Amino acid sequence: MRTGSMRWIKIITAIVGLLVPAEYTLAQAEDALAYETVEPSRIKVGESATIRVTSFGRLKDVALPSIPGLVFEEAGRSQGLEFVNGTPIPATFILIRVTAQFPGVFTIPGLTPTSQSIGLEVVKGNEPNPYAWRSQMPAAPPVVTAVLPKGVQLQAGGAAFVHLAIPTRAIYVGESVPVEIELGIRPGIVTSVNGLPTLNGNDFTFNNLSKQPERREQSIEGSEFVVLTWHSALAAVKPGDFFLSAETPLTVKISTLSASDRAVASRLAWPLLQSMYNGIAPKDITVGSSPSELRVVQLPTDGQPKDFGGAVGDFQVSSDISPATVAAGDPLTLRLHIRGAGNFDRVDSTMLDHLDHWKTYPAKSSFTPSDAVGNQGEKVFEQPLIAAQPGEQSIPGLEFSFFNPNTRRYEHAQTSPIKVTIAASLASGSLNALTNAQSLNGVPMTAATQGLRPDHPLPHNAVSELRPLYFRGPFLAIPTSLALILAGSWFAVRPNAARAASKAAARVLAQLDAAARIGDSSSFFEAARQTLLQTLAARWQMPADQITLTELKARLGATGEDVGRLFVLADEAKYSDYQPGGTDYQHWLRVVRSQLAGERG
Amino acid sequence: MRAAKIPMIIAGLALWAGQALAQTSQQPYSADGLYNLANSYARAGKPGLAVLSYERAALLAPGDPDINANLAYVRASAHVPVKPRNPFARLAQATEPTAAAWLGVLGLVLVGMGLVAARVARRFLWIPRGGILLGVALIALTASNAVLLWPRMHEAVVLVDQTPARVSPAPMGDTAFVLREAESVTMTAEHEDFMLIRTGGGLSGWVARANLGAVVPPVGAEH
Repeated sequence: MRTGSMRWIKIITAIVGLLVPAEYTLAQAEDALAYETVEPSRIKVGESATIRVTSFGRLKDVALPSIPGLVFEEAGRSQGLEFVNGTPIPATFILIRVTAQFPGVFTIPGLTPTSQSIGLEVVKGNEPNPYAWRSQMPAAPPVVTAVLPKGVQLQAGGAAFVHLAIPTRAIYVGESVPVEIELGIRPGIVTSVNGLPTLNGNDFTFNNLSKQPERREQSIEGSEFVVLTWHSALAAVKPGDFFLSAETPLTVKISTLSASDRAVASRLAWPLLQSMYNGIAPKDITVGSSPSELRVVQLPTDGQPKDFGGAVGDFQVSSDISPATVAAGDPLTLRLHIRGAGNFDRVDSTMLDHLDHWKTYPAKSSFTPSDAVGNQGEKVFEQPLIAAQPGEQSIPGLEFSFFNPNTRRYEHAQTSPIKVTIAASLASGSLNALTNAQSLNGVPMTAATQGLRPDHPLPHNAVSELRPLYFRGPFLAIPTSLALILAGSWFAVRPNAARAASKAAARVLAQLDAAARIGDSSSFFEAARQTLLQTLAARWQMPADQITLTELKARLGATGEDVGRLFVLADEAKYSDYQPGGTDYQHWLRVVRSQLAGERG
Repeated sequence: MRAAKIPMIIAGLALWAGQALAQTSQQPYSADGLYNLANSYARAGKPGLAVLSYERAALLAPGDPDINANLAYVRASAHVPVKPRNPFARLAQATEPTAAAWLGVLGLVLVGMGLVAARVARRFLWIPRGGILLGVALIALTASNAVLLWPRMHEAVVLVDQTPARVSPAPMGDTAFVLREAESVTMTAEHEDFMLIRTGGGLSGWVARANLGAVVPPVGAEH
């Protein structure tokens, strides 16, 4: 019994021992290498692409992802052999159809643990590939097959190239020569061009690149390229041998696989390479052209004109003027046209600095390019002129010197003289113009002028200036002088002193007479004394309080005694109510009157 | 005696001034001559030059009815607006500027002599006082005449139809607006061959000097 049980245990153990490696092998098979591809990788809204999952081992059902905008459904399953380097390897294939509902760039995660994510681009019906270079140009012509220019190599894994086209001949210092920069990119791999191309070279000046590059599609080495061409012009600032190159920043899709994965992929050939591109990550890189040699030589000094301003190129000059007939004082415009190809930034002209009987103004210039970089076109200089004298006059020809790199010598261009007719100025109106006005007539009297009042008889009185007299300096001197004279006279002439004194004396005598009539002796004598003191003080030029009786007698003699007596009576009347008789008032009035009149007694 | 010398001095100064003015005068302008010249321009179909000559004639004879009538007529024919003058301006400008200038001198003399006489006279003080009042009135008339004429010293007439007024004093300057021939403008500044003008409507721009005729030309330019 025990022996039978042991045997069954051994059998079961043996079975389990056999099954475990098998399960392990199956489990390992589920993690076997797998990859996915999607065809096509760019579809329009409403279209479908097919995801093909290839597994080199046992592959269970895959879980369909859920991505907004994409609808997944399994289209089929099959098993077969995948040939790798000529060796058949068993593989399982699952086909999944994915339908786009709206545009965008979608990343579909790997459907197996070992597969990488893939990308799918969905665009609108008429919209170009968003990863491709955007262009507003109409549909490109059919793709033509071309070869890479000489010396140009593909870069970024064959996704782009840059070609700088410059003249092969030697150029002169200051000469402006056109250059072209070609950028070839593979749509879908190069996702964007991140800036304009730049030229490397410190010894050159570059014009701005053309705003819109020319675009064409070419098939180069079996791959479809979009070739963008920019135009520019460069000028060397010093002689020597130089190397020029151009570079452009780009964003390209690159593989994120490890080196071991790429080693496996190399064994799996192209399907895995496609997977590598679908599982890309963008990366910014810069691609450049191979250096191009350019030789720059100095301009010759022999035969250089004095008015040479650095213009190098092939130019033609002409001139015109407008209007051809004007009145003196009216402006004309003299134009110098310089057409051709060359460094127009160095093309300059001062036109006419000085011209007898003309007033010249500084010239202005304008340039109209006929190509994208301004290497060809026409530069026009405009100079206003004003004629000072009437009559037919000749404006001399304009000169322009430049170096022609084609003939390798300096050339001197000159325009032909221009004749203009200058009429008399309309502003020179005066009496002398009367006859001119009649001759200028030429126009019959119109009905509008018939309402004019008739002419006046010939004038007899005329003036030298229209400016009124009071606005002329010489005339203003007259009233100014008169004003000064009259002001001086006013100050010089003083009022009559005797008249003023007599008026004051009359007022005092009237006051004394009034006091005498009413018998007010105090007021009478006090007023009389004050009046006499003031009068005598003014007459003798001394203070009134210094006039004493002695002084009175010495100066006035007998009259002084009367005056002294009046001063005494004034004190008496003031302090003792002295009342003189009516006769005495008259006496003292006479004394005061005589002193006011200046009598000395 | 001293007061008697003052009129003699004044008379001598006036005589000297009159002789000086007579010696410098070349007599190129007369109101009638300018009026006849303006009529000629008007008949020739040149309203700008006609208005310019009428304006100049009106400066010398502001009260001349023929000048004023023809000036208004030509302006109306040229469709040039005219700003009416107020009654006070018409009254003040009715006096010829030359006469107004001498009346002002007379007024100054009356005022001065009146003040001196009032200082020295003993009787009839109303006479110097009346002279002072009359003199002040004459000076006021002259001053009013001068004040009203002062703006016309800077007036000009557009001589060419469709004259461009530019934003800058350059022949190639942009055109700000266009002036009609015979239009009167005020000159406010000058730069080389251009005048900065202001129209009656308040617009300002640079106009070529050759296209304008100043009502009162600069001294020496009219010959």
